[in-house]
Amino acid sequence: MTESLQETAQISCDILIIGAGPAGMMAAITACENGADVIVLHDKPSPGGQIYRNVDNSPLPDANILGEDYTQGGELVARFNACSARVFSSASVWHVGDNGEALFSYQGTTQRVSALEIIVANGAMERPFPIEGWHLPNVMSAGAAQVMLKSDGIVSDDAVFIGTGPLLYLIVAQYLRLGVKVKALIDTTEKANYLKATQQLPKAFAQLGMMTKGLGLLNEIRASGTPCYRFVKDIQISAAEHAKPEQASQVTFQCANETVTLQADQFFLHQGVIPNLNITRSLGLAHHWNAQQLCWQPTLDNWGASSVPYISVAGDCSAIVGAIGAQNMGKIVALNLLYRLDRLKLEKRDELATRAMQDMQQLNRFRAFIDSLYRPRDIHRMPEKSSVVVCRCEEQNLAQLEQAFGEQASGPNELKLMTRCGMGPCQGRMCGTTVSELLAKWRNTGVANVGYYHLRSPMRLLNLEELAKLETVAPRSAQ
Amino acid sequence: MNAEVIIIGGGIQGCASAYYLAQAGVKVIVLEKDWVSRHASGVNAGGVRSLGRHIAEVPLSIASIEMWQNLSEELSADTGFRRKKLINIAADESDMQTLRARERQMHALGYYHEQILDDKELRQHLPNVAEHCVGGVLSHTDGYAIPYHTTSAYRRAAQALGAVFIEGEAVENIRKVGQDWHIQSQTSDYQARHLVNCAGAWADKIAVMIGDNVPMSYSAPMLMITTRMPHFATPVVGAVSRPLSFKQFENGTVLIGGGAKGFADREHNRTRLDYQKLAVGAQNVAEFFPIMKRASINRMWSGLEAYMPDNLPVIGFSPSSENALHAFGFSAHGFQMGPIVGKIISQLIINRKTSFDLTPFKADRFERKVL
Repeated sequence: MTESLQETAQISCDILIIGAGPAGMMAAITACENGADVIVLHDKPSPGGQIYRNVDNSPLPDANILGEDYTQGGELVARFNACSARVFSSASVWHVGDNGEALFSYQGTTQRVSALEIIVANGAMERPFPIEGWHLPNVMSAGAAQVMLKSDGIVSDDAVFIGTGPLLYLIVAQYLRLGVKVKALIDTTEKANYLKATQQLPKAFAQLGMMTKGLGLLNEIRASGTPCYRFVKDIQISAAEHAKPEQASQVTFQCANETVTLQADQFFLHQGVIPNLNITRSLGLAHHWNAQQLCWQPTLDNWGASSVPYISVAGDCSAIVGAIGAQNMGKIVALNLLYRLDRLKLEKRDELATRAMQDMQQLNRFRAFIDSLYRPRDIHRMPEKSSVVVCRCEEQNLAQLEQAFGEQASGPNELKLMTRCGMGPCQGRMCGTTVSELLAKWRNTGVANVGYYHLRSPMRLLNLEELAKLETVAPRSAQ
Repeated sequence: MNAEVIIIGGGIQGCASAYYLAQAGVKVIVLEKDWVSRHASGVNAGGVRSLGRHIAEVPLSIASIEMWQNLSEELSADTGFRRKKLINIAADESDMQTLRARERQMHALGYYHEQILDDKELRQHLPNVAEHCVGGVLSHTDGYAIPYHTTSAYRRAAQALGAVFIEGEAVENIRKVGQDWHIQSQTSDYQARHLVNCAGAWADKIAVMIGDNVPMSYSAPMLMITTRMPHFATPVVGAVSRPLSFKQFENGTVLIGGGAKGFADREHNRTRLDYQKLAVGAQNVAEFFPIMKRASINRMWSGLEAYMPDNLPVIGFSPSSENALHAFGFSAHGFQMGPIVGKIISQLIINRKTSFDLTPFKADRFERKVL
C-alpha cells in the first residue's frame, strides 16, 4: 500500500519504522498484529531491503538462481504487504530527531511525521575497502553488482571480484548460475583466519547449515573452473597509462609469493558489511566499537532500546546480525514497544519474545565464527601506502590525512575540519570507520577513545527548493 | 603550572591573543575545555566582513581587515582567507535609502570603505541576482576564510613561540590570592598574574568566577552548505534588510547563513537545528538567486555562540578585578575581529593601554540598565 498525499498533512502514529528490510518488516507485522498504529518509511519502490530487493517483482526469468535465502523473503514481504501499517514507499528520510519527529522527501515535497516510538532499521552498508585504485571508475562494490542484478537484471561480463565474505561468494555464484563469465575471484581471506575460526566451531555448531553456506559457495565457484586466487595480499588496481578518462583496467596482487596481473573492464570489491550509522549517529545515540566485527554500533539493551528515550534500533544497523537475526530483532523490539505502549503485559511480551531471543543467542555464536573467518586484513582497513585515497568524495589520501594529524588534528572532527575528509555528499560513510581506525593506530590507543564524526542532518543530499517547501508556522505578531 | 598569562578558551580570540602575547615574549597558557576551535571558531560561516559594521566596531574592524590581508604569511599557514569583495544587496528603494543614510553617517566620520552600487553595477558583480534587486553596497577588502584553518594557524604559530595549549581542561574554580590568579581544573592547578576570559558561549560563567556579572546569552546560529555548483558568485553576499548571507567557495560549494538560530544545549555541548527556520533561509536564497533552487544541500549544522543584548562584544579590562580581561560576546560576528582583538589583548597586558576606544565594549555597560 502506498499512501496518498492528502492523508499526510499532519501525520502521527504510535510506532514509526524507518526501513522495510527484514527487521523493519517483521517489526511492522508484529506491531500491527497487536493493534498498534504503525507507519513505515522506506526509500525503495517496494519493500524487502537490500536482501529481499524486488523479491515479489524480480526482473529475472527465474529468481531461484539468486538462492533459497532470497526467495524465502517473498513470504515475509507478502505478510508485510498484508499488515495494517501505513507504508510510504520511495520516501527518503533525511532527518530523525530525538523528539520523535522525522522529516522525509516524498513525491517532491518535504513531509513531517511524529511518533510515540521510533524504530531505526535502515540496515547495513558495505565496509569501505581503501586499497590502491578503489576510487577509480570501473571499480564498484559487490553490493552494487547485487543491486543491478536484483533490480534490473543487469550483469557485467568478465568482471574480477576481489575481497572476502559470504556476500562476495554469493554474487559470484549467482553470476555463474546465470551463465555469466567471471574473470577471477581474488580471495583476500587470510589463511590464519581458518584456524582461528575453527576455535569458534563448537559454539557455532548448532548453525551448521548456515556455517557451511559460505564455504559451499566457494566450492561451487571453484568447481565451475573460474580462476580463484586465495590468501591474496598487496592488491593494486590501476588505470592504463595515459587512459582518458582515467579508469581501472588492471589489478596486480601477491598470491603464493607470486605477483599476478589481470586485465579487466570491471572490478567488484567487498570485504563484509557494517552498520549504516548515518541515522543513529546524527540522532546522537551512544555508540561503541565492536572489536569482533571491527565496526561502530549503537549501544542497545536486550530489547533494542538506545540511549535516547523512544528510539530503538533493529537489524543490521544495530550490529551485523543477518537477515534471520534482523527478523528476530524486529520482532523483539516491536514486542517491547507494545509493552511500553500498554498494548502487551510484561509477561506476555517476555513469553512472545522467548523463541526469538533464543534464536538470537544461537545466531550470535555463528556470527563469531563468520566474523573471525572473514575478518578483513588490517592493511585493507588501514592503508599504509600514502597515495591510497581514504575520502573519495573530497579525494583525500593517506598522506594528506597524516599531514593534518601532524598538525594536531588528532580527532575525527578536527581532521574533517582540517582536510574536508568526510565532508562530502556521502556524509563520511565511506571514510568514517577508516578514519577512526587510522587515528587509533597513529595515537596508539583504542578506537573507542578516538570516536567518530559528529554527524548532522540531512542524512542524504536535499534539494534546496524541496527544503524551502517545508511548511512553516508564521510567528504571532507581538501585541 | 605557572605562566604570566592564562587564557581561558581556545577559540580564535584566545588563540590570537596567545599568539600576539607569545610573540612579545610573554609566557602564556591556554586552557580549552574541549579542543581548540571546537565551537563557534571552528564552525562559523567564515565571513571576513568589515562592511556594515556597527559604528562602534568600525575602527577595530578596519584595523582587523588590514591584518587579514597578509595573515597567512604572518602565521606561515594558509588561513583560507580569500579577498573576494563583499556585497549587501538592496531589494528595494527603501533599502537604498537606508544605504544612503549610512553613507552620510560614515563619510561624516571619515570612513570611505563602503561603496554604494546601482542596479547596473550590482549585476556586473552578481550576474545571477534576481530581477527585483535594485542595488547594494560593496567593500573591496572583505572576503572569507576557513575558520578552523585560521584558528588552528594561530594556535600553531603561538605554540611555535612557546605558548602552551591544554585541551580537555575545563576550569572549575578561579580565585585571586594576592597579586596572582589561581585557576583550578578537575586535575590541575594553574597560577598566573593575568587572566583572559575568551570562553565564548561559556564566558558568562567565567566572568562570574572573576567577579563580573554580564547579561550574556547564548544560542546556536545555523548554517548549511551545498554540494559543488558551477561558479556563479565571486563576492560574499548579504542583504541590507533580509536575513540572507551566502558565499561560494573556490571548490564550488555554497555556504548559506543568515543568522537564524537553532536550539542550544550548552550543558551537553550540543545544538539542535530548527528546520522550519532553515526552510525560510532556503526560501530567501532562492528568492534572491533563482539559480540556487537547483542546489543540493549537503550538510546543515550550528555552533554555540555568545550574544550580548546590544550585539556588541565585551572587550577589555574587568571592571571588578585587576589583571583580568575579557574578550567574548561577539554575537555571531567576531571571527573577522579575531586578529585585532588578539592584538588589543596583548597590548592591554603588556602596555596597559591601547589606542582603540573600548568604551562601547565595557563589561559593566549594562550595570544600571533594566533590560
